[in-house]
Amino acid sequence: MVSLTINGKVVCAEEGEMVLTVTRREGIDIPALCHHEAVEPFGACRLCLVEITKKEWNGWTNYVTACLYPVEEGLIVQTHSSKVNELRRTILDLMLARCPNSPEVRQLAADHGVTQTAYEEMPDADNCILCGLCTRVCERLGFNAISTVGRGHHKVVAAPLKEAPPDCVGCLSCAQVCPTNVIKYEDDGDQRRIWGRTFELITCKQCGKYTITREFAEALHTQRDIPLDYFDLCDECHRKELSLKMGSIVNWSREAAS
Amino acid sequence: MRIATPQQLNRLQQECQARLDRQERKLLVCCGPGCLANGAQKVSDELKKVIEKNRLKGFSVEALKETGCHGFCEQGPLVVVEPSGTFYTRVKVRDVEEIIDQTIRKQEIVERLLYADPATGKKIANYREIPFYSKQQRIALRNIGQINQCDIDEYVAVGGYQSLAKVLTTMSRQAVIDEVTTSGLRGRGGAGFPAGRKWATCAKADDYPHYVICNGDEGDPGAFMDRAIMEGDPHSVLEGIIIAAYAVGAHEGYIYVREEYPLAVVNLQKAIQQAHEYGFLGENMLGSEFSFDVHVSRGGGAFVCGESSALMKSVAGEVGEPRAKYVRSVLKGLFDKPTVLNNVESYANVPVIIDKGGKWFSGIGTRKSTGTKAFSLVGRVRNTGLIEVPMGTTLREIIYGIGGGIQNDRPFKAVQTGGPSGGCLPESKLDLPVDFDSLTEAGSMMGSGGMIVLDDHTCVVDLAKYFLAFLVDESCGKCTPCREGLYQLHALAVAVSEGRATEADIEKMERLSDTVVLGSLCGLGKSGPNPFLSTVRYFRDEYLTHIKDKRCPAGVCRALIRYEVDAQKCDGCMACIAACAQHAITGKKKELHAINQDTCDRCGACLAVCQRDAILVI
Amino acid sequence: MKSRLIVTPNLCTGCRTCELACAFAHSVNGKPGRSRIYPLPAGFPDMWTPVVCLHCDDPACAKSCLVDAITRIEETGAMELDNEKCVKCMACVAACPFGCSLHDAQHDMVVKCDLCGGDPVCAHFCPTKALEYRPAMPTKRKAVG
Repeated sequence: MVSLTINGKVVCAEEGEMVLTVTRREGIDIPALCHHEAVEPFGACRLCLVEITKKEWNGWTNYVTACLYPVEEGLIVQTHSSKVNELRRTILDLMLARCPNSPEVRQLAADHGVTQTAYEEMPDADNCILCGLCTRVCERLGFNAISTVGRGHHKVVAAPLKEAPPDCVGCLSCAQVCPTNVIKYEDDGDQRRIWGRTFELITCKQCGKYTITREFAEALHTQRDIPLDYFDLCDECHRKELSLKMGSIVNWSREAAS
Repeated sequence: MRIATPQQLNRLQQECQARLDRQERKLLVCCGPGCLANGAQKVSDELKKVIEKNRLKGFSVEALKETGCHGFCEQGPLVVVEPSGTFYTRVKVRDVEEIIDQTIRKQEIVERLLYADPATGKKIANYREIPFYSKQQRIALRNIGQINQCDIDEYVAVGGYQSLAKVLTTMSRQAVIDEVTTSGLRGRGGAGFPAGRKWATCAKADDYPHYVICNGDEGDPGAFMDRAIMEGDPHSVLEGIIIAAYAVGAHEGYIYVREEYPLAVVNLQKAIQQAHEYGFLGENMLGSEFSFDVHVSRGGGAFVCGESSALMKSVAGEVGEPRAKYVRSVLKGLFDKPTVLNNVESYANVPVIIDKGGKWFSGIGTRKSTGTKAFSLVGRVRNTGLIEVPMGTTLREIIYGIGGGIQNDRPFKAVQTGGPSGGCLPESKLDLPVDFDSLTEAGSMMGSGGMIVLDDHTCVVDLAKYFLAFLVDESCGKCTPCREGLYQLHALAVAVSEGRATEADIEKMERLSDTVVLGSLCGLGKSGPNPFLSTVRYFRDEYLTHIKDKRCPAGVCRALIRYEVDAQKCDGCMACIAACAQHAITGKKKELHAINQDTCDRCGACLAVCQRDAILVI
Repeated sequence: MKSRLIVTPNLCTGCRTCELACAFAHSVNGKPGRSRIYPLPAGFPDMWTPVVCLHCDDPACAKSCLVDAITRIEETGAMELDNEKCVKCMACVAACPFGCSLHDAQHDMVVKCDLCGGDPVCAHFCPTKALEYRPAMPTKRKAVG
């Protein structure tokens, strides 16, 4: 157990926990766009910067990303000091210059007092803030279909050689975790199109509803031993099937009793 | 032939020394980066040809040595005769016959090839008497320019690998760490972290295996100290690495060499192979129980891979992006294991520290910055080259005492130190001692040793713009403040240089710099705004002149200058007309020429070709 | 002995109180969430049965989760889905042979029964004890089907 001070309040935390976990537990709202519990913290967006100091530092302060900073005994954290607010505001201002058309970035920036960027807007901007969540989640899932490509200002999220990624299974996790809804996909009947690939959606044998892609089901079968016929029905039809099975057991027991 | 005991090493040293002593005189050709670029290889090949052809008595081709960087790059290609120290400068292939005939055969000096003191005009024959050399103290560079590059026998002859023998046979791991700690050696890559403390932390770490890595990425524009060491004395680096590995308990190491140094890669690989043959690398070295092997790992051409966590990712075969180092890489480094990462120059110092003792080393330099430091002294200084001086030497002593002052006697404007992470210091700071801490207080830093001297023809706005463009290009792009912040800082610097900025923009740049410095993930971003911050600190007026007067006092920023033909000096030779790619100059032969301001793009071609100094920069 | 959610389909009247209780117990921002329990017609006249997550000994949901967001809570025996870890890939929704991992479209999150942390409201409110949460003999059983 470690005790530290956050915004003046003394709290306890487990050794090895990150400051962000503790601040969230305390109900303190710090933006952290590149953070997701499914993957390791990344420290890319820098929005979760907090001010830290210790008594023995004699007034010297440091600014660290809460998502990656492990708790320490005697750490003194300020999540919304005037300097931290200024840093966060400027970072959002820079993000706004990069993604002026993103409603999510605009909203978050406005929440911090930035309604118009003070800098040069990117021409032909898309809404990608390069948080890396899509690529990190894809790696976590074991598919590694996309990654960040290029360096510095030329960095983009792309598939290898910017062609349709052969390893993608069409699970849509990348699109789901993207904080700015950049990744587009199309579900058209039993076809799903994403990243330039076309996938076949499994059709429920009972009701015809579409569930997940055949490729994703195959991957789950290969990697985690899920029998392929589990994917024959949608969740609703599975429930119906179970209720009918249980009904026939009840009926049998009633008949047997009489 | 494996050397299995210190006695065998002593015998080998004697044999190698004896072989060297067979040559009464030696002819050293500098094949450092500067001289090679200037044609030194051709000079060396010609010398070899002429020596063989002439069959001189008492002088065989074995006396000809291709060495690493001798240091005085400005005067290259350099040829040195030892032991007299006769120093021939700007040697061309056509000078070779005369050198062999006059100096080797007749033992006479070729006067016209000697260095002349620019102040007195007097010729100095022995390079050791030239101020450029006499004011230096070469420890890390001790062998470079003196021995055949990449020849282990010559390295052994001058005492190489004796420190390794001493360590492996008489010193415990702790004793080695103690010696390095006593020496006060601080990382020569720029960060200046105490090496002993780093080694001690790694040695104690209870997570195996341990690794040692040598950072040979040297990305600062203008810096070539590590290059010279890796190319010119690779064994000194190897010996230092092996000693470090022993101290921290590592059995595997990597030397990370930037992609742009192919010769360093070749020489290091040769050196590794030679060390293996003698058993200085591999299993049970020198009869001890210690085994160690080292590999050369090549970079992919990214400045950011000089940052330790990015470097380790690159060695591991991943994309070189840094990580936040709240858990230090000495505990979680390569493959997440305890790793010691030190700079090339740091390792090159280690054998000397072991040999002469940490106390001796700590007696050189200053109390907090012990030892010496290698610098690449470049720019508008008279004597450009590779130098090494004790820490604490002042900027003035380096630039004027060794560097010989500014070319063409132009006024000194500033010295840029520490590469893109550093800053500019003006004349008022010339008496600052060069060490890890003094320059940082003044807004720059010593960094890895790059020192660029600027005169009044350098525009600080242009300089800041150049470094910012470099950093924007080299940023890994992972974190927002660096990727976007430096991009916007550069855009604003361009605006200043084009006269489009306002005074409020300077304040905007200062505020933005603050965010980039405090908010960035790694050192590249954190120090990225330094070129701007240090120039605006000392040369704010120059920025304001660009903004308010829309004028570039140094005559550099293209949007703010114009070229005009000086009516007094132009003789109508038409050279500029031929050179102008925009066809902006008109005029007939022997008649005054004129520059069309609408078409001229201030590329500088006319300025370069005009023999009459008739192009004015206004 | 650990408690388990015991379903006795015989006693189910199809009153759907469990469904209501579950939805409200899992409200999001004041709005009822999607119920994790579904009383469904059982295929015979006047017969109903509650279909709910059985917290299998060998759960397909956890196996199918590639980010390991579904884990066993030792105290209650429940298989709990951590929504902070969930990336909404729908693998568990597709893989559960009983259809007990569901997509709450209104709140765009994947949900499943978590035994309410140890006091399941469905069992609490079931008027006929068709649903009970009580100690029971642990039996090794494979997923039906």
